[in-house]
Amino acid sequence: MKFSVYILIITLFALIYSCSDDTCNADTDTLLNIEFTVNDTNLTNIDFMDNLSLYSTQWSDSIHYSEEGSNEILSLMLSPNSDTSEIIITSVNAGLKDTLTIISQRELIFYSPECGFITNYFIDTLFYSINYIDSIAITSYQISTSKDGQVQIYF
Amino acid sequence: MLLQAIKFQPVKMDRFKYIFSILFVILTSLACFGQEKGNKQDEDLYAPIEDKEPLVLKGIKVGVNVGRVTDFFFKPERRSTEVSLDFNLSNKYFGVVEGGISETSMIKENYWYDSEGSYIKVGMDFNMLKKYPTDYFGIGIRIGKADFKHSASHIIFEDSHWIADPIAVDSKSYNTYWLEASFGLKGELIKNVYFGWSALVRIGVSGRKDAQFQPYEIPGFGKGANSINLGATYYIYYQIPFNKNK
Repeated sequence: MKFSVYILIITLFALIYSCSDDTCNADTDTLLNIEFTVNDTNLTNIDFMDNLSLYSTQWSDSIHYSEEGSNEILSLMLSPNSDTSEIIITSVNAGLKDTLTIISQRELIFYSPECGFITNYFIDTLFYSINYIDSIAITSYQISTSKDGQVQIYF
Repeated sequence: MLLQAIKFQPVKMDRFKYIFSILFVILTSLACFGQEKGNKQDEDLYAPIEDKEPLVLKGIKVGVNVGRVTDFFFKPERRSTEVSLDFNLSNKYFGVVEGGISETSMIKENYWYDSEGSYIKVGMDFNMLKKYPTDYFGIGIRIGKADFKHSASHIIFEDSHWIADPIAVDSKSYNTYWLEASFGLKGELIKNVYFGWSALVRIGVSGRKDAQFQPYEIPGFGKGANSINLGATYYIYYQIPFNKNK
């Protein structure tokens, strides 16, 4: 029996040692994917989608579909500092803008010592203007590291 | 400018997810007792079921969890200590009280984090050995409770769009309860000095969740985000002997 004790001690210590890692190898992004569908011919005639951009008054820059988008989808993180994220949708040749105001519940999680904190979100309410937007559907309210949020916008 | 809104319609959630975990522990424990009773081929290893000797307190073991020494190498941000009191009743049943303290302090580039707390576990171990009456090989159950608090500051999210604005979360206190099942060994290395280890399954019962600031590590329980945590302890005990003549 004592032989087996030693074997099991060594095995369990080895298991504990193998769990140690100092780098963040996990995907800690918590993203909202916005899918755009342009059915309005007036907008397709001005290449609305190709020239589409998103910005916020609380951003230091903009997101341009031509640079960061693909398959009519743009991904962004909601505000980590506020329950309200205001996103403005614009396109170069469009005279008007539309605004999304996303109200979410935030959950601050200490993910790991290596990766630090992440914020999970739950979309509570989405307000939107209807200058060009026809309708909006939220297909995934939960935003976490394992599941992106999904919003579909129809123009 | 016209506005429209889409609002989430909440769906009521229940707590059935906990019931399965609790039933699992109970049924696993019962299955272990059943094994002891029905397996006659292992009579040399397992204690007999029928034993009418009165239970006698044969010693008290005072133990220190030496496994926490590994924190020094692998979790330098954490300082923790765990001790145990083990009441030996006829080498078959052991009343166990375990407790510990834990303190974590981390200052990283994108966050500062502090937590501190203590915990206590109360339960029983059941020795299945017959052949080595001074040693132990068996299963145990515990109920654990942790009191702890944590706080964080200077949290920065490295997102390329939102203007970086460090977040701080004030200190919050929690009480957490869990059930614990274990199996393990204790062997006498030299007279009255024992070494033992246990493999543990801890199942959270309440107090692990916080919608705003999820606890990372709960003293004695492990990762707060998990409903079930696995673990191991390595103890060195000194047995205070008495009732030797019985």
